[in-house]
Amino acid sequence: MSKIISTCRDIVKNFNSGEAEVKALQGITLDVYENELLMLVGPSGCGKTTFVSVLSGLLSFDSGVCKLMGEDISTMSDERLTAFRGKNIGFVFQAFNLLPSLSAIENVALPLTVEKRKRVETLTLSKEMLEAVGLDGKENVKPSGLSGGEQQRVAIARALVHNPKFIICDEPTSSLDHKSGQIVMELLTEIIKEKGASMIVVTHDNRIYKYADRIVHMEDGRIVKVAS
Amino acid sequence: MFRIAIEMLLYDKTKYIGLLIGVAFTAFLVTFAMGYFAGFMTRGFALVSENPSAKVWVMDPSVSSAEATINMSDSALDIVRGVKGVNYAAPMYLGNMTARYANGDFQTFQAIGVDDATLSGAPKPANLLRIPESAIVDSGGTEGKLQTPIYKKDMWSYDGSHLNAPTRKLRYGDTMLINSKRVVVAGVSHTIPRFPPRPLLYTTASNFKRLVPGEKRYITFIMVRPTKNITPNKLAKRIAKQTGLKAITSDEFKKETVLWYMINSEDVGDMVNMVILAMLVGFGVTGVMLYMFTYENIKQYAVLKAMGASTKQLSDMIFTQVFISAIIGSGIGVGIAAILAHMVSSATFPFRMMWFAPLIGFLGVIIVSMTAAFISLRPIKKMEPGIVFKL
Ligand SMILES: Nc1ncnc2c1ncn2[C@@H]1O[C@H](COP(=O)(O)OP(=O)(O)OP(=O)(O)O)[C@@H](O)[C@H]1O
Ligand SMILES: [Mg+2]
Repeated sequence: MSKIISTCRDIVKNFNSGEAEVKALQGITLDVYENELLMLVGPSGCGKTTFVSVLSGLLSFDSGVCKLMGEDISTMSDERLTAFRGKNIGFVFQAFNLLPSLSAIENVALPLTVEKRKRVETLTLSKEMLEAVGLDGKENVKPSGLSGGEQQRVAIARALVHNPKFIICDEPTSSLDHKSGQIVMELLTEIIKEKGASMIVVTHDNRIYKYADRIVHMEDGRIVKVAS
Repeated sequence: MFRIAIEMLLYDKTKYIGLLIGVAFTAFLVTFAMGYFAGFMTRGFALVSENPSAKVWVMDPSVSSAEATINMSDSALDIVRGVKGVNYAAPMYLGNMTARYANGDFQTFQAIGVDDATLSGAPKPANLLRIPESAIVDSGGTEGKLQTPIYKKDMWSYDGSHLNAPTRKLRYGDTMLINSKRVVVAGVSHTIPRFPPRPLLYTTASNFKRLVPGEKRYITFIMVRPTKNITPNKLAKRIAKQTGLKAITSDEFKKETVLWYMINSEDVGDMVNMVILAMLVGFGVTGVMLYMFTYENIKQYAVLKAMGASTKQLSDMIFTQVFISAIIGSGIGVGIAAILAHMVSSATFPFRMMWFAPLIGFLGVIIVSMTAAFISLRPIKKMEPGIVFKL
């Protein structure tokens, strides 16, 4: 068995939106292994996004234990957690979430800029990464000048440029047409295997299930099935 | 991060220009309002300014402005002249006089009676005051108040007033009546306009007494020039000590006058309130605009935070953006205020750009902007970066 990169025990998360309390996560227990591509699937509103937010330290939770690379994230200070996340996790979002004012290469460079790496090094790595996702020549184009598929490839380059151990993708293909979606998934799996990182992909898109090592099914804030 | 902050700021040109206009407008408003206020106040102590050689002013101890005055007895002049260090001391009479114009209309003047011997305190052409029963008139910041009929037939006519007769400006040789006594206009001067505006009538002390006889006390101020070996400050203290009168330097007198206006004049009080209101509104609008600018970008900050940007890095970005907008915007605003001030400043429009007006305009905007930046840090600090997953 390979090593565990993330472990969650009995995670509970409730949202208090006005009168109604939403029980988003009702005791989730899951381990994620090194070098695996895990897909998280289930009906809308079942808590997938909430779970990956908790797992990656973007959202606080009510009870349970969540460890990332052996460290308990609930005991970390906000500052330390932010730095830890920046260094070890890469994100890919459904809405791409590129900064509209920055060119493709500057967007890719963000995780390195945040880490205050040297500018020359930052630009070299970012350029290489853009080439790796097949966007050489588009370095200085702003997101508004790129297609959806291209924007998502920029986002992937950004998620991977600083060699994080763990990649979280929330519906990376659902804003894209089928062909662009396939390209994005090919890229992700290829680069993940090459760099030896783990990845969770939240998705509705059963056409990409084939890329998964394991598929975790959620319903109503619970894990109902794990398939290999 | 600095670079990212600037690109973020400049990305939406319309928004950025809107922001600059807002900031510039506030800086302009503050600077201009203060210049306007300073202009009024400068006119409030015009009497002191137009007598630059009078370094020390002596007055009744209860007087605290050039505007509200009470007179001293005539012996005060000799007493002051006897103080060591007084090179020269000249009396000044002040009083209101109502003059009857040739067409039967009337006008109230502030009469200024000056020393017969030296005519010090009289404007050019001062020498013409040597003409018997003469006076120099001055609009004092008013308009259309120094008028006399164009045609002889409308002047001093036996069939009563000709109030609707066509008129022209007063000039050398025209006559009017004050307390039924004839006054010849010896000239029209253009001294510093007054606040509040009022027509002025300069005449000699003896003519003043002829027009308003029988008063016990005539001297309102004594203007003193010190000898070479004493500073105005020291001499003022010495005069006060030896005579029991109030003696202050011209600078102190100006300051006291401004203070007196602020405390005692409802008009000035209203004006100050207006200026303060304008500043508050401007500051408020600027603050809200800057806050909104940050708030609208909160999703981008959340993305940065998800990627490991610390709160300090994010707040540095916000301060950079706000600081740049504030500096450029207030620069533009203060600049426009200066140019406009130059253009509009005139006899009827008091304006004086004092050194502190642009400074306060500038600093005020910077402080407000920084406060806005500080407040907009709150949502940034409080946000759960989890919102990055929400569309
Ligand atoms: N910030 C929030 N405040 C209140 N309720 C929330 C919040 N975020 C999520 N929820 C609720 O929690 C539940 C789980 O939401 P979540 O976004 O995790 O679902 P999901 O599985 O990602 O759905 P989808 O497939 O539509 O993205 C939903 O009922 C949702 O309405
Ligand atoms: Mg979701």
